[in-house]
Amino acid sequence: MSVTTTTTSAAPARDGWRTSLRRTVLLGRVNWTLMVRNRTTLLYAFLMPALPLVLLVVGTRGGQNANIDPSAGAIAAALLFALVFPGYYNLLSMFVTRRDELVLKRLRTGEVRDGELITSMALPGAAVTLVVAVASVVLAAVLGLPMPTNPLLLLLAVLLAIGTFAAFAIWTASWTQTAESAQLTSAPVIALSTVGFVVPLLPSAAQPWVELTPGAAVELLLRISWFGQERAGSEPGMSFVETWVEAAPSLGALAVWALLAVVVARRSLRWEPRA
Amino acid sequence: MEQTTSGAPDATASPTLTSPPPQGPAVSVRGLRRRYGSGSTAFEAVRGIDLEVARGSIHALLGVNGAGKTSTLEVIEGLATATAGEVRVLGLDPVRQRREVRRRTGVLLQRSGFVGDLTVRETLEMWTATVTDPRPVDELLELLSLTAKADTRMRGLSGGEHRRVDLACSLSGRPELVMLDEPTTGLDPESRRQVWRLVRELREQGATVLVTTHYLDEAESLADKVSIMRAGEIAVEGTVAEIVAAAPSQISFRTPAEQLSLPTGEVSTDGELTVLRVDDLQPALTELLVTARQGGVRLDRLSARTASLESVFLDLAGDHHEKPETHDEPQETSR
Repeated sequence: MSVTTTTTSAAPARDGWRTSLRRTVLLGRVNWTLMVRNRTTLLYAFLMPALPLVLLVVGTRGGQNANIDPSAGAIAAALLFALVFPGYYNLLSMFVTRRDELVLKRLRTGEVRDGELITSMALPGAAVTLVVAVASVVLAAVLGLPMPTNPLLLLLAVLLAIGTFAAFAIWTASWTQTAESAQLTSAPVIALSTVGFVVPLLPSAAQPWVELTPGAAVELLLRISWFGQERAGSEPGMSFVETWVEAAPSLGALAVWALLAVVVARRSLRWEPRA
Repeated sequence: MEQTTSGAPDATASPTLTSPPPQGPAVSVRGLRRRYGSGSTAFEAVRGIDLEVARGSIHALLGVNGAGKTSTLEVIEGLATATAGEVRVLGLDPVRQRREVRRRTGVLLQRSGFVGDLTVRETLEMWTATVTDPRPVDELLELLSLTAKADTRMRGLSGGEHRRVDLACSLSGRPELVMLDEPTTGLDPESRRQVWRLVRELREQGATVLVTTHYLDEAESLADKVSIMRAGEIAVEGTVAEIVAAAPSQISFRTPAEQLSLPTGEVSTDGELTVLRVDDLQPALTELLVTARQGGVRLDRLSARTASLESVFLDLAGDHHEKPETHDEPQETSR
């Protein structure tokens, strides 16, 4: 078989956004296939976010809309678990493993751009998080729970959170030597993500500060956008406009975390293992 | 002339993305330096080299391990920035015009990885889907004799098969310029020959191939031009014939040299072995034989040979004392 090459002056590059989007989605599909092929990542991706939703079903069965607090907590937990496990931890583990095995270095010798590579690796986690969000709405409808007061705000919060946790993963990867050590290096971000659940147990002076952590901000945004609740335990019933006003500090906090994570991730990004 | 840029000279002097010059060398390197670290721990792997690779040729970059081959190639590939100097690939800056350069080049790294859970076919499908002008996957599989392994996961491949998949990826976008960093390392003799055939076919189709290797038989068999690197510099450059012609021939024998009047040349001894290096072998050998006959001296284990790429390489390796690797037909050396 003979080899054919292009040796004349090549056609102008058609590297527009469509090409970039096509490559990103294609690589994202490959990453999705890899995620479901591996039992560990499959478990992290689907079982962890599903557990709170199972609790939601079990807890709500027969008690029609009795108390929205546990329901809000369960939905927030499902979303946070989707953000933390497939969104953050799987991406961190995938990036570090592929960097150490020189897969990323190899891919960068081709036409794929760096941003496409990272985005495609974040896509499976993002897809799971969005699926969890949609499944939560469907479950809420089936169980007779209230529908989101401000779906737009909810979507915005979920998308912002996906970006923030993906950037956290790339940042964490910069100081994670191996996939095994990711279990340790991921601890600070996981702590920042779950500390929101203990806010009611903290002294009142500490609560406003803790609510600025990314996990607490996501939980609060969910309560505001879905249930119109100011915080856990408060009365629901905010109007559409009030939800935007009430959500502003948490949205701002999440945006700052996202910006911070992107800046530090860009500064410390490594595509190859340390020599 | 030493520019302290990151291998990215003035953009105004650069050709535009849409009108790369069709003429000129495929690769042009001027005063390239690459330094690792800083302060007292700094190490300069590439020390101001000039290199030109003609379009449609096979150019081999030879050198012992640590000579600076990969460090040079990584800058040409745009994977690393130069400490100083200027690099042009197909008339373009490989860092600032990376997208266009990537579209027209194929790269094989010395060491690289693939996702173990993907099959060979899935890996090639992924690669071909990301290039502008892809070859069909079945063509690539056939080209590298991987058809039988198409449904095998990457983690189940041998080192040689892995290398062939790597090479298939490099060729997936029909590149004008192929840069291969030790392409046959880890391959069995038949696979090596197959890769050589492939490289020759690439040239016949008009592509340019820049290959690094420390296999001398590979360079001798393939390369139109050879650059031998030593300690970050290009020590010798030319066709194999030119390099060999410029190097001294060698006569060796076991009789002590003091018994003879030796022809003009560089004499060295290694135990009982006398080695005489001469520019012109025939008259020197004739003179030696006549002198020996007249003196009644027997020249034990007399050996005479013209210079070879291997002897040049070994001379250049100098203090490194690293022997180049040869395959299949190890070449005898009189040392």
